[in-house]
Amino acid sequence: MNKSLALLLGACLLLSGCTGLPAAREMGDMALLRTMGVDLAPEGLEITASTGPRARGLQGTGEPALVLSAREDSLSAACLALQGLSDSYVFFGYVDQLLLGEELARSGALPVLDYFARDVELGLGAQLWLTRGTTARAAVESGGEQGVEGRLSTLQTDGKLGVAAITRTAGEIYTDLLERGAAFVPVLTLEGEDASLRESGYGVLGPEGLTGFLEGEAARGLELLAGRAPAQVLTVELGSNQVSARPQAVSLRAELDLQEGEPAGLKLECRVEMGLTEDRRSPTGEELAQLRRRLERRALEQIESALASLQEWGADCVGLGAKAGLACPGEWRRIQEDWPALFGRVKIETDVRVVIYE
Amino acid sequence: MVREDRADGPHPRKVPLFDRPLSRQALAEVFADCVDYMERTVYLNGDRERTVTVCYLLGMARNERLSDYILRPLAQDPALSRAPEGELFSRLQYGALYNLAAIRRETLDDVVNDLILGSCALFFPGRLDALTLPVPTEEKRAVGEPDNEPALKGSRESFVESIRTNTAMVRRHLKAPQLKIREHIVGRQSRTLVDVLYLEGIADPDTVSQVEEKLDQMDIDGVETAGNLEEYLTDTARTPFPLMAYTQRPDRLCQGLLEGRAAVFADGIPLGWLVPGTMDQFFKTGQDRAYHWLTASALSLIRYLCALITLLVPGLYIALVTFHPEAIPPKLALSIVAAKQEVPFSTIFEVLIMLLAFEVIQEAGLRLPGPIGATVSILGGLVVGSAAVEARIVSPAVLIAVAIAGVAGYTMPSQDFGNALRLWRFLLAILASVGGLFGLALGCAALVYHLAQLESFGVPYLAPFTTGVGATRGHPSLFRLPLPAMKWRDGAVRTQNRRNQR
Repeated sequence: MNKSLALLLGACLLLSGCTGLPAAREMGDMALLRTMGVDLAPEGLEITASTGPRARGLQGTGEPALVLSAREDSLSAACLALQGLSDSYVFFGYVDQLLLGEELARSGALPVLDYFARDVELGLGAQLWLTRGTTARAAVESGGEQGVEGRLSTLQTDGKLGVAAITRTAGEIYTDLLERGAAFVPVLTLEGEDASLRESGYGVLGPEGLTGFLEGEAARGLELLAGRAPAQVLTVELGSNQVSARPQAVSLRAELDLQEGEPAGLKLECRVEMGLTEDRRSPTGEELAQLRRRLERRALEQIESALASLQEWGADCVGLGAKAGLACPGEWRRIQEDWPALFGRVKIETDVRVVIYE
Repeated sequence: MVREDRADGPHPRKVPLFDRPLSRQALAEVFADCVDYMERTVYLNGDRERTVTVCYLLGMARNERLSDYILRPLAQDPALSRAPEGELFSRLQYGALYNLAAIRRETLDDVVNDLILGSCALFFPGRLDALTLPVPTEEKRAVGEPDNEPALKGSRESFVESIRTNTAMVRRHLKAPQLKIREHIVGRQSRTLVDVLYLEGIADPDTVSQVEEKLDQMDIDGVETAGNLEEYLTDTARTPFPLMAYTQRPDRLCQGLLEGRAAVFADGIPLGWLVPGTMDQFFKTGQDRAYHWLTASALSLIRYLCALITLLVPGLYIALVTFHPEAIPPKLALSIVAAKQEVPFSTIFEVLIMLLAFEVIQEAGLRLPGPIGATVSILGGLVVGSAAVEARIVSPAVLIAVAIAGVAGYTMPSQDFGNALRLWRFLLAILASVGGLFGLALGCAALVYHLAQLESFGVPYLAPFTTGVGATRGHPSLFRLPLPAMKWRDGAVRTQNRRNQR
């Protein structure tokens, strides 16, 4: 019995890593941060964090969002400085929206993502957004007393439902940056008189920092390349008839054209399923064929627009090479390291096929 | 120092208890100062030269039987008065009296025992033996419905305090002559009849002999409560978990016998025990075989899930809220924070106090008569609970967590098993308050270790989840298969004949 007890205690000690037991904290004394913005500042970095609207008591009486801001020479020092600004224990474990300022993104986002990956409370599950034309602090503060969390949460949900831009977590972006050398991030801008947050395409990050933005048709092209149906209604004039169609599903097939082991070209086959949303009269026969050709041309233009920018930046942020490499894993493994450079000069042939469902 | 002289020393059983020759005078001395001891001398058919003395205990012997079957033939049968002196005893023993049984006794101990069990004893002048005739009273509670194990679809009879009625009920369910009933007398003062029932050819003879051996070794004053048997038959001192399943329902007891278990009855206790006790038994109800197999399986899974809920929810709440808040979904965390802000106590204190309060209310409800008990539960549970939340003494989330754990515990078909889970729930909550999820995980590991150590009559307690002896498993225990597919008795019970149907 004594031997069993000794063994059990020994096992407990080993399982605890011989570091003692975790520390207890009361949730009632915590300020749960939900959104964090990181900007470049003269002192180093500036962090702006918001709790979102809070509730107090049984009836959940509303309290304004708590917004804290600190400037320090490092992220960890700024996070520590936030602790001193609040009357509660500032808990970072619930940060699920991370905004990066444009300036910071240009100087490189990897150190921030590194910190998120290593911190005990923070994690890579937060949604990552890039602010353009404004700072992350301004974006966080734009929510006022109600906080910006509601707006970001709506954008995130809409993105998942396919009615807004593709949303990405810090973990996905971190992985893409490490594996592909590039990643795309949804961009937010402050627009309108009420200075509310709006989507504005995507930013493309490289290991050194922000390489550029994709907007409008190029952003839609990026979504098609990523295999996501863009949240867009395409209207086509067919003589006296006007037809609107909306992409519903996209599938993309990539194939490397290898000559003597070297990639001479990349063939993309994009299949877009579209549903008719509005029309003056149902298109049939030649009208339907014409509609399909026009939609195919439009999708092709979007894809080519996106590809032109991405090739210029040498940023295969949607992983076209990796997708094509699945069919020839041996060759892909050989050229994988040089792919970012090869991607910029490889000839890409794109074939788009639209299937229309009435 | 002589051990036997010490008042608190072990007291060896004295055999025989009354070391004197058998005689009416000796019997009267044994029952001296017993107001219920009666003697009546009868003239055989009015012959003053030939007498017989009838001894009995008032209240234990039934007056009508004694009068009609014993006294009337003795007093009125002319054949008895004409019978030669040497033949009279044999005639009475073999038919002159209309009683079902007549036993010749030669020792005082036997006669004393028979009288206590409701027999009358006939003494003949000059003879050193006596004739005892069982005429016991049959005052007993009528067979009613099983209060603790109600049946919606099935037999509505329940065991009663009379052991013979109980064995008869079992015999009516299982008409096979292979049903064996062996009797033991347990209790130095209570001399309680304890019967062991089993199906010959199906039950494991080793288990039966172990039970009988332990019954014979029991040297206690009396068997007045169920614990008197349970704690002596099994090694319950080191575990709060029950090692013998009990039931009020004859159909359920018979099902246990058919599975190869042995049953134990004690006179005066309206329950039957089934041994060996394995954990799955405490999750089964008498209705499992009455419902459709899909329904029964779903309910069985719910019961297992509820066991985990009642065991883990308070500890999990403490661990998550106090040590690992990041594991709580954000919206839930926000509402917990909102409700917790004005509560003055720590989460650990809140949960432990609420668990204690829950037990207090439950105990108070049980100790009071029915209608008052219900009022106490309502007052304690609803009024005091909601007042405590309104007054911000406890947070509503704690109240909900403790209430969920408590209610989930009530789904356990066995109260004993539910009580053991309640004790472990406290322990796990304390461990969680020391080490969070790490402490809780250690507690769970200790619980599994503890359960894996337990055995009931040589059968692992965790059977049939693990047989521990390489025996083939019977059927899944988490859910019930359709009955035609349940062709095997449980392997871990070590039955002699595993197949139960074609």
